[in-house]
Amino acid sequence: MSDRRPPAVRRAAVAGTLTSAAVAVLVVVPVLAVALSAFRTDETWSTAAFERVLTSDRTWRIVAVTVAQAVASTVLTLAVGLPVAWTLGRFEFPGRRLVRVVALVPFVLPSVVLATAVAALLGPAGPLDLRGTWWAVLAAHAAFNLAVVVFVVGDAFGRLGASVEDAARMLGAPARGAFTRATLPAVRPAVVSAAAVVFLFCLTSFGVLVVLGGGRVTTIEVEVYFRATRQFDLSGAAVLSIVQLLCVVVALTVVGALQRRSGAASGRVTRRAPSRAGDRWWVAATVGIVGLVAGLPMVALLDRSFRVGRAYSWSNWTNLGSVLEGTGLAVSPIGALGRSLSAATLAAVLATAVAVPAAVVAARRPGRLADRVLMLPLAVSATTLGLGVLLVAGRPPIDLRDAWWLVPLVQALVALPLVVRVVAPALRAVPTNALDSAAVLGAGPRARWWRVEVPAVRGAVAAGAGLAFVASIGEFGATVFIARVDRATVPVAIGSLASRPGAAGLGQAMALSCLLVLICGAVLLVVDRLGEVGRIGTAGAAD
Amino acid sequence: MSSRPGRPFTRIAAGLVAATLLLTSCGDGPDQPAAREVVLVTYDSFALPEAAAAAFEEATGFRIRVVTGGDSGSVLTSALLRAGAPDGDVIFGIDGASASRVLAEDLLEPFVPAAVGSGAVPDALRLPGELADLLTPVDTGDVCVIADAEWFAARGLEAPRTLADLTDPRFRDLLVVQSPVTSSPGLAFLVGTVAAEGEGWPAYWERLRDNGVRVRPSWDDAYNTDYTVSGGDRPLVVSYASSPPAEVVFSEGTRTAPASTVLVDTCVRQVEYAGVLRGAPNPEGARQLVEFMLGPEWQAELPLTNFVLPAVTGTPLPATFEQFAARPTDPLTLPADRIGAERDDWVERWRELLE
Repeated sequence: MSDRRPPAVRRAAVAGTLTSAAVAVLVVVPVLAVALSAFRTDETWSTAAFERVLTSDRTWRIVAVTVAQAVASTVLTLAVGLPVAWTLGRFEFPGRRLVRVVALVPFVLPSVVLATAVAALLGPAGPLDLRGTWWAVLAAHAAFNLAVVVFVVGDAFGRLGASVEDAARMLGAPARGAFTRATLPAVRPAVVSAAAVVFLFCLTSFGVLVVLGGGRVTTIEVEVYFRATRQFDLSGAAVLSIVQLLCVVVALTVVGALQRRSGAASGRVTRRAPSRAGDRWWVAATVGIVGLVAGLPMVALLDRSFRVGRAYSWSNWTNLGSVLEGTGLAVSPIGALGRSLSAATLAAVLATAVAVPAAVVAARRPGRLADRVLMLPLAVSATTLGLGVLLVAGRPPIDLRDAWWLVPLVQALVALPLVVRVVAPALRAVPTNALDSAAVLGAGPRARWWRVEVPAVRGAVAAGAGLAFVASIGEFGATVFIARVDRATVPVAIGSLASRPGAAGLGQAMALSCLLVLICGAVLLVVDRLGEVGRIGTAGAAD
Repeated sequence: MSSRPGRPFTRIAAGLVAATLLLTSCGDGPDQPAAREVVLVTYDSFALPEAAAAAFEEATGFRIRVVTGGDSGSVLTSALLRAGAPDGDVIFGIDGASASRVLAEDLLEPFVPAAVGSGAVPDALRLPGELADLLTPVDTGDVCVIADAEWFAARGLEAPRTLADLTDPRFRDLLVVQSPVTSSPGLAFLVGTVAAEGEGWPAYWERLRDNGVRVRPSWDDAYNTDYTVSGGDRPLVVSYASSPPAEVVFSEGTRTAPASTVLVDTCVRQVEYAGVLRGAPNPEGARQLVEFMLGPEWQAELPLTNFVLPAVTGTPLPATFEQFAARPTDPLTLPADRIGAERDDWVERWRELLE
């Protein structure tokens, strides 16, 4: 096969291998820095930090509550998402596509923006103040992860069609039995996959906790951040980072085992019109649930951004250009926006430029080392990465903490796996017979690469770039460690504004969040016009 | 696979590159250091003495820009994480209880203003050992529990007086304190409870917890959001002995007498220090500012802007301050080196009990 590869592909493969190596270094070095600092207490090598942190009841309380909230969030998301997935998978009705897009909105929004939107409903400015309780956090997690269930399980329901159930009924099973004994087992693999993804997201959730936790509910991720940036207990934070990493590894292993056992469903997607009254009830319920969970927070966000107290006012928007006293910001929100846009653009360009050759390698050898390495940034939690980068960048003799490219670089690193996930399957899907036909018609290797493969993945590359931009502009967990206070990005500013008790900073946070919704929406719309929005759902939600 | 080769992709790519160039060229406003500026890194509730700041600019040509980042504990931690590449030139608001932390990362450049050497500042305010050359005492204050007098009067309830009273079920769910991790008064109050209760301090905090104490990350949050005088729901808050005159001054004439009374038996003496950050972009301006903080303009303006007592002896006090500020004669205290050695363990234990 290698002799058939055109030079451009070979060059891309070399570049891709180098990229994998660079990604490995960029991820492993910060993680090593965290691991090493776990063994440093008072400038000497010791295991004191482990003893201190691991013998504390509080640590184990936090570990338990972190896992418990992830389980609870997953159960809630499934409870809300499964009926929606079933309806959207089974029925074809006008507006079905719109409902799917609305369900996708919270998932593609930056976590702090989604949390602020939930705070518009369940925060001090909303009708019910649940900030600082797990209820608000669970609600945000369910809204965020709804899309995962809808897209992953919905397709499985669709592939199944009504045929299995009909067959079961014809064989004499009652309606309920047909569902529980025929349909459910068939979609179980998809449900397990979706649940696993949701669980992992909730296990390492950070932005949502910072905004909605109110400092009262905490998880391992938040505790790492708090110890490092508030208590200046770097060794303690590092120990907790390691605990977090172990939790993720254990979860991934369990998930892997579950998925291997269950195998995947396959088949053609068939949907029918909701003809019976019961069917129409399901459709109505689905529209209601998606509107309530994914749509209403956005509406509330927009509404609250135009309010001060109870009265309507422009001031949250007109104040965006100024640094307000008592909000704890050192830059104006508009200044933060300029910075965010430039950093995210750079990060997206960088991630895409690097991801395409990397995807060539990943596509040729899926599941091999290079492919796995490229996914590393997803396995390491954002705060671990941020803490690690801060520790590495601050090492003499070269102090990189002030380098303007540090934030875009880290954002590109976080976005890279997403781009690879979008581009690699597209490359893999280029039909070999198209390449063969081109060869028969006289196209050389170079021509085949540029005229068959590249055009075929162009849309995927654009989708990947859009996704990288959205991921970068919303990156919070790592950026919050490394952005200087006078160079805050929008999510950092929102996190700082919205996490303050009371409603003082909330107005600006909501106006800023609206701006970010608009920007992310515009980018996704462009991607959608290229017909590639489906890729984003699958890239985020694939295993 | 259906996307056609062609212009949208090229157009988007070109657009992205153009946007990058445009944004990187115009998004840099706050980055470029103004040539004649000295950046003061401090806590949220710090109020710049405006007249003195103007006098400073007049005298040195440096404009003061204030950068805040939460309560003083958070500010100090952020500074430590950026030691050597700081967010500003001068850090102000490090209190005696957390002072020893600055040694960890070589956070500060040694600098001793002339006023300290000349004896204008009492020796008692200076820190022991090498800290003396790094941190300049600027002001002192007493951290105390204060009570909303009207709230208690309206309910015919007598306000608590001592630390022990705060655990009395009659005062259940009435107290709000600050976290000693992030907040300077919060840490001072914790030190006060250790001084008062000795080895039994964790048990005391358990009683406080069982009596419904609320913990907030910063003084600003506790006083301005939760305290009944500010419209909150808690009539007892850890604040300062100087909060009563502050209430009169900030009421702009609507109050002639303070709303709060000070529980003088709960007070802990606190000294606030300033230092020159190592790696400061403007070290010369930094030293001049620290020097100026002990000058007569700055010192005289502190009582009515930040409601603290000037560190320089003989600085005249405004009448409102003299009249309404409580002056505890026997505040709770612990030796600085003991605080330095045990502070982190206390905080860790406190978190285990309260969070």
